[in-house]
Amino acid sequence: MTHPQDLSLRQQAEAIRHGDLSAKELLDATLERLRSRDSSINSTPVVFDELSQAQISQAPAGPLFGVPITVKDMFALPWRAARNGTTHNLIPASASGPYRNLRDAGVIVVGIANQHELGIGSTGIYSAYGPMRNPWDPLHCAGGSSGGSAGGVAARLVAGSLASDSGGSTRIPASYCGVVGLKLTYGAVPYDGYFGAATTFSAPGLVARDGGDARMLTAAMLQRPFPLQSGSGLRVGLVREPFWNDVQAEAADACTKALTSTGWKVSEVKIENLELAGAAFLGRLIAEAGIPPTDVFATLSEPTRALLLAGMLAPARFVPRADRVRAAVRYSLAAAFETVDFLAWPTTPGAAPTIDEPWVTIPSGRVLVDVPNVRQNSLANLTGAPAISIPVGLSSAQLPVGLQLLGPWGSEARLLDAAEHVERVSDRAYVNLVPPLAR
Amino acid sequence: MSNFEDWARATYRQAGIEVDENELVLVELIYAGALGQLEMLDRIDLEAFPARGVDLRHAPKAT
Repeated sequence: MTHPQDLSLRQQAEAIRHGDLSAKELLDATLERLRSRDSSINSTPVVFDELSQAQISQAPAGPLFGVPITVKDMFALPWRAARNGTTHNLIPASASGPYRNLRDAGVIVVGIANQHELGIGSTGIYSAYGPMRNPWDPLHCAGGSSGGSAGGVAARLVAGSLASDSGGSTRIPASYCGVVGLKLTYGAVPYDGYFGAATTFSAPGLVARDGGDARMLTAAMLQRPFPLQSGSGLRVGLVREPFWNDVQAEAADACTKALTSTGWKVSEVKIENLELAGAAFLGRLIAEAGIPPTDVFATLSEPTRALLLAGMLAPARFVPRADRVRAAVRYSLAAAFETVDFLAWPTTPGAAPTIDEPWVTIPSGRVLVDVPNVRQNSLANLTGAPAISIPVGLSSAQLPVGLQLLGPWGSEARLLDAAEHVERVSDRAYVNLVPPLAR
Repeated sequence: MSNFEDWARATYRQAGIEVDENELVLVELIYAGALGQLEMLDRIDLEAFPARGVDLRHAPKAT
């Protein structure tokens, strides 16, 4: 018999709705799987055994009634403060806005998804709960900052997770773990009780195993229907430099192969002032980062402390200039969307690096993987636009590779249509890949 | 002590943060890299990049 967590999120919801599976049976199976499988990847360090059972009786009969999910440590819950990957309660316990929307759809929050400390990192290596490991190979990182969300979904511990994305934090771990990760348009949901309220870059993200599951979660989160439309005949723009040219060949090849199979009209696109986007992202991000309270700061890992300390020294003169560039890049992006439906490039410059050596060798040199990871992803955060990462195959080391699609503001529906189109034309070859841990 | 170290220590002291020498080495490395990228912003033509309001929830309004 199929384990309930080997079902998709929508199959779980449907089985409960039809009475083929009770919410309690699904929850018990999920708790059992978390206990038996998570120790090797550390995706869900906090599990709500009794509290999740209690949620069943209170959950409304929404479209996701009884479906267990995890929630990133960046969101406050009514019974637990948000800790943001630290040892401290940083936002008091409350029903955060994104949580409320999912709760109203009937989900059961079964645990806290591990995350990179304060969300400042693309590897998931540094966390008060310990490093997040990749279900495809536990020696490799799960990515960050939402590594627990992506790792747990990929390992079939849960079928969905609430994540967040300030510079690729949903898309990067989704790419590394072989699942779908959607960054919503900035401000699309209430931000109260969510660390994203402290920055102009962050948006909640959703992690699922395929586009159909991501669609259900998106509909719940944005509280409106997202009917499936055809994803064929779309126009996609490629920005070669640096997004395709400065990545590992096998990442670019996998993405090219997936795009070629879609039948989409592909053209080269230039984004004016793109070369300044990274500086604008950095200039504004540093100004927004700040330093946590002294007792929290003292507990942080050395790399996180160093990043925050370096940011403290940055001259303020860059901030207004960063804002001017940000405004200009938004206009450039909007101009690009007059000729294409979305832009596409590899989500990450390569597959997940090892936890011991989180570096990547790309045409421009050997660098800490965070640098090109943020470069590949921060345009969506700088501009507020939504973006999705979808799995498109495995590297030579049998680790997942993701393709990123970046669309106009409010284009989540089309991004999901595109994701499902890729799944259809590939006969689900990529989304049906299962990591060794889950076989 | 280098100028950077003097300056950084003074800044952190004001914030009530103690740092050790090893930490400062890493901070200096990160700061130098960030500054190199940020200085691109010093070279922009302000007339070509007017100050404009940004509403991240929506596409920019047509000019």
